[in-house]
Amino acid sequence: MKNSKTLTILKDNLWTNNPIFIQILGICSTLAVTNSMRNTMIMTLGVTFATALSSLTLSGLKDLMPRKVRMIIQVVVMSFYVILLDILLRAYLPDVSKQLGPYVGLIITNCILMGRAEAFAQANKPLLAFWDGLTSGLGYMAVLMAIAVVRELLGFGTLFGLRVMPEGFVAWTIMIMAPSAFFLVAMVMWWAKSVQAKREAARKEAKK
Amino acid sequence: MKKDSMLYVVLFTFIVCAAFVLVLAVANEGTKDLVAANKEFATQSAVLGAFGIPFSGQADAAAKYASEIRRGDAGGYASWAATIDGTDYVAVEQSGAGLWGTISVILAATPDAGRVRGIRVVAQNETPGLGGRIEEAWFLGQYEGEKTTGGAISMKAGAESSGKADADKENGRVDGISGATRTSQSFGAIVDAGLARVKATGGSR
Repeated sequence: MKNSKTLTILKDNLWTNNPIFIQILGICSTLAVTNSMRNTMIMTLGVTFATALSSLTLSGLKDLMPRKVRMIIQVVVMSFYVILLDILLRAYLPDVSKQLGPYVGLIITNCILMGRAEAFAQANKPLLAFWDGLTSGLGYMAVLMAIAVVRELLGFGTLFGLRVMPEGFVAWTIMIMAPSAFFLVAMVMWWAKSVQAKREAARKEAKK
Repeated sequence: MKKDSMLYVVLFTFIVCAAFVLVLAVANEGTKDLVAANKEFATQSAVLGAFGIPFSGQADAAAKYASEIRRGDAGGYASWAATIDGTDYVAVEQSGAGLWGTISVILAATPDAGRVRGIRVVAQNETPGLGGRIEEAWFLGQYEGEKTTGGAISMKAGAESSGKADADKENGRVDGISGATRTSQSFGAIVDAGLARVKATGGSR
C-alpha cells in the first residue's frame, strides 16, 4: 500500500503531473538557465534540494501552524533553505556561485516550491512530503536538462562545456537567447501532451 | 492555547522566524572567512592575470601578489603597480555600464597608457554566449601588448568587425564580438576610461 503510493508520487511528478509541462510552473528559470548544461544541473539540483527540504519542514510543522500565517511561514522556510544554499555555494563553490549570480536567490520565487508546499506538504506526512518535493525537483530537472542539451549543443556546439560539434559548425545564436527556450518548452509540452492523450484514448478503448 | 488565538499566532511566527534566522546567522558566520578568502583570491588572480604574472593555485597567487605587486589608492580608487622584466606597469579597476549591467575590469598598462599589458574581467552580467564572451581568452588576448593611439584603443564593433581577433599589436585596434555589438562598444569605452585613469595614476607616482 505504502509502496504503491510512493511509486504513484514518483510517476506523477515525473510524467503525469510534471511541474514543467503539465503544471507549467517554474518557467522563468527554464528560460534563463537552460543555455548551459552545467548551470542547469546546478540550478535544478538547488531547486530539488530546496523543494524537498522545505516540503519536509513544512509538513513537520503543519499541525502546529496557524492557518492565518501559513503562507508567511512557508516563505520563511523556503527562503531559509535557499539562502543556506547560497551561503554554501559562495563558500565552497565560488566559481559556480559567480556564474549563477542572482539565479540562486531567485529559487525562492520558483513556483514549484510554493506549489508543492500548498498542494502536498499541507496534507501529508513529512517523509512523503520530502519524497514528493524530491521527485518534483527531479521532474523539473529532467525537462530542463533535456532542453539544455539541445540549446547548448546547437548554441555553442558543446555539451557540459566540452566540444562535440565539428570545428566548422556554425552556432545557432538564437539557441543561446531566451526565446529559443520558449520554442523548446512548447515542443516538449506538445510531445508530452500528445503522448498522454494517445495513451488515455488507448486505455478508454481497452475498457470498452 | 488555541491555535487561532492572537498570542499563539504571534508567538509561533516569532519562534519559527527566530529559529531559522539563527541557523542562517551561524552558517553565515561560520563561512565568512572562507567567503572573504574566495573574494580576495578572485581579486588577486584578476590583478595577476592583468599583469600577465603566471600563478598556480590560491596559495601561489597570494604569495606572488604579496611579493611582486605594490598596492596604491591614488585618488580614491584601487590601483596596483608592478615591475615586470624592468618595465613599470600600473593597473586600475574600472567599471562601466554594459548592455545588461555593470562590467568591472582590471586593466594593466604602462604608466603613460602607451601600451596595454592585459585586462581581466572581474564582474559582468552580459548575455551568456554573446556579450559574456568578453571573458574569453581570444577576446582579452587582443589587448595584451596592444599599442594605444593617443591613450585609447578603437573597438571595431558591429558591421566593421570581422568577428575574429585582431592580431596586429601596433594598430591600436581590437575586434568586437559578433552578435554582441553593444557589449563590445561598452567594453571599448570602459577600457578607454581605464586607460585615462592609468595615465592619471601613473603620472602622479
